[in-house]
Amino acid sequence: MTDSVRQKADTTEIWIGAKDVTDVMRTLHDDEQFRFELLADIAGVDTGSEMWVVYHLYSTLTPDWLRVICAGLSREDPRVPSVTFLWKGAEWGEREAYDMFGIIFEGNRDLRRIYMPADYVSFPLRKDFLLPDDAARSPGEGFRHVEQTHQPAEHFRQPVLRQSKLGSSSAAALDELAADTEKATS
Amino acid sequence: MTETTRVRSLDDPDVFVETPATIFDAVPPYPPRSEREAEFYHLDDGEMLINLGPQHPSTHGVLRVVLKIDGEKVVDLDPVLGYLHRGVEKICENGDWHHAISNCDPLEYVASMFSEAMPVLSAEKLLDLEVPRRAEYIRVLCWELNRVASHALFMGWLALDLGGLTPVLWGFIERDEIVEMLAALTGQRLLFNYLRIGGVNRDLNHDFLSRLGDWMSRAGNQIEQSTRLLNENEIFVRRTAGLGVLDRETALRLCMSGPPLRATGIPYDVRRAHPYSVYPELEFDIPTRTEGDSYARYLLHIDEVRESIRIIDQVLHEMPDGPVMAKVPRLIRIPPGRAFIAIESPRGQYACYAMSDGSDQPFRLRIHDPSFFNLQAVGVLMPGNLIADTMAIMASLDPIMGGIDK
Repeated sequence: MTDSVRQKADTTEIWIGAKDVTDVMRTLHDDEQFRFELLADIAGVDTGSEMWVVYHLYSTLTPDWLRVICAGLSREDPRVPSVTFLWKGAEWGEREAYDMFGIIFEGNRDLRRIYMPADYVSFPLRKDFLLPDDAARSPGEGFRHVEQTHQPAEHFRQPVLRQSKLGSSSAAALDELAADTEKATS
Repeated sequence: MTETTRVRSLDDPDVFVETPATIFDAVPPYPPRSEREAEFYHLDDGEMLINLGPQHPSTHGVLRVVLKIDGEKVVDLDPVLGYLHRGVEKICENGDWHHAISNCDPLEYVASMFSEAMPVLSAEKLLDLEVPRRAEYIRVLCWELNRVASHALFMGWLALDLGGLTPVLWGFIERDEIVEMLAALTGQRLLFNYLRIGGVNRDLNHDFLSRLGDWMSRAGNQIEQSTRLLNENEIFVRRTAGLGVLDRETALRLCMSGPPLRATGIPYDVRRAHPYSVYPELEFDIPTRTEGDSYARYLLHIDEVRESIRIIDQVLHEMPDGPVMAKVPRLIRIPPGRAFIAIESPRGQYACYAMSDGSDQPFRLRIHDPSFFNLQAVGVLMPGNLIADTMAIMASLDPIMGGIDK
């Protein structure tokens, strides 16, 4: 019985690289000593310099959460093996991480955007995606609203059908962006 | 290049024509983006695609499901999400930790006491903050009341999707009493914004307690009445029993949690698996069922309501005196670190992975919504069933689109 109620640090953490994900996860899931059968969460993270994929696992054999951090993914081309061969339910979690961060999960059969429309081109949860009305962090010099940090593969590329309405001061920048987009899609 | 103007024909998805399609057509007006999408939108003889939603009442929000049907049978389906996407995680990163509480409120809008706890509990874990016991008891009280309200609505909705109107009205009566009660406590009916980092917004008041006592005196009776209405109703049982059967392995592989998982026989409840708040001091059982069908999920909800009432009873008897807020500065700078917290919401494990960089804003606030993962099961459960039964199966998974679309 706990006398003082507090949230404890009840998490074990391990760090791995993208090449080890398949083996580590398979061992954690299948091995009799571990039996982490429940994937509690799968999350993408953009630290500003690199991408992470963070898994949280649960096993009946231990009272701790197991946090597996797959770190060191490049921001230009983040690629990590999919864990859908163990947990089919990770499929949507990976789709979400792809949609929000552009992380490519190799082996996921259904890797497409899940929230954003199909003609959307940027990745909203990346740190360099600033909200247009973000007064708190905006450098104040202009917009980076529809910037393209990551280009999808050639045949996935879609034209930008909608442009956000920006102030007249940034009209020149908008023209420049439209020209860029045209160049990229033609 | 004229390639960008070529879209799929509505008559034959394998043919690309130059007529633009609208977003309401079942077949997307662009080439397939993934292996699975190509497979789904390729039709065999006799198959056709129909849209269910996004404005269909039985989708419990704005969920669109493209059904591939052969006659009345569902062959395959493709849920299309995002109609309610607001980017809550991004908004939370741009406000401070206190703003995140009200931003997380509308995620699970039927039981928002649970979703608003996400930034609160993760901030407390990062701060290693001790919360006054009275505040913890009040939290548990609010959570369990909200669980009963949510489950009451679930039973009504399930029956409504099967064509029965009466239970949903009864469910709303039950829920309305609780919602009014919580409004007397928090000031709001739906999005309470009541929990605070370090405690709760305000102490219990007379209006709330008198309503609660009033409700507790007849809650058990009302549940028995509701169950008499449905439990042995021939139509209800025939349309739920044996339908949408999940087995243990599949449920685990689909990362499910909450009642759909416990209906397959796995007693995974975060209140016991990873005890938080004052749950270790309370006596309650984790009801499970082994059938794994829609009817088992329905019965499980009733059992859980009984357990919740048991918890509320204990909480009211053991409620300690004292402050309801820890001493926390207005401007909180959370120490750098990573924290994972999970609580048991009416729909399953509501979890949050928070990262802080030492500023007053969350660096990353990842919300894990149980309905998002539970909804994936429709892809396994629905094929082979009639279109009309897909409603019953989807309703028995109890998805809330506010949380799914974030």
